[in-house]
Amino acid sequence: MHQGYEGRVDFLTVYIKEAHPLDEWQMGTNVEEDVCYRQPRQFDDRLAIARDFISRFSFPIPLLIDGIDNRVMNLYSGWPERFYIIDPMGIIRYKGVPGPFGYHPEEVEAWLRENVGESTLSETTSEAPTA
Amino acid sequence: MTWRRVLWGLLLLAVIALGGFTYVVGGPGNLIGMLRYDQREKGSLAVGERAPEAELWSLDGRFGQPLLAPGRKRPLVLIFGSFT
Repeated sequence: MHQGYEGRVDFLTVYIKEAHPLDEWQMGTNVEEDVCYRQPRQFDDRLAIARDFISRFSFPIPLLIDGIDNRVMNLYSGWPERFYIIDPMGIIRYKGVPGPFGYHPEEVEAWLRENVGESTLSETTSEAPTA
Repeated sequence: MTWRRVLWGLLLLAVIALGGFTYVVGGPGNLIGMLRYDQREKGSLAVGERAPEAELWSLDGRFGQPLLAPGRKRPLVLIFGSFT
């Protein structure tokens, strides 16, 4: 999706509080994929995990990190994963439902298709961090 | 009063079914984790409202990066998430 709308749409990842850290709600799949981190208590720990994420996946979408006070996550109710679309005037045009059940990249793509135009890629993609 | 009992019974069955489903699919750790750590929220922001500006950290550890960056000419897709 990111590639298909490059130059027409801006994408920004907001790295927030871990969804399934070792010391909280650990998932078996994270153990299998060696994604095992404790919930950061200090910002430097969150920063280190975000850097690991970028490095491991060569993540192409710009990424900024929420402070350890989780202010932006709370402001947007973004945990554990969520999409928003904001228009150039700063108005919310799409608000997804929190993941994993409400995680629907295809809804974002449908909005973009209707309001921006067709993706330059033929296939629907869903590039975003998993939680 | 009978219909109330039926409703409560159905509610109880639904809770048991949900718990059982979560237990089977994700194991006991997942059920306990969901009960203890699920913090999903609907949130108060709504479509049509102005998105609140906020400041974030960059990957090189600098604070003060704007979330929305005023003057943006294109729609912005925000993706909230984490590695885990």
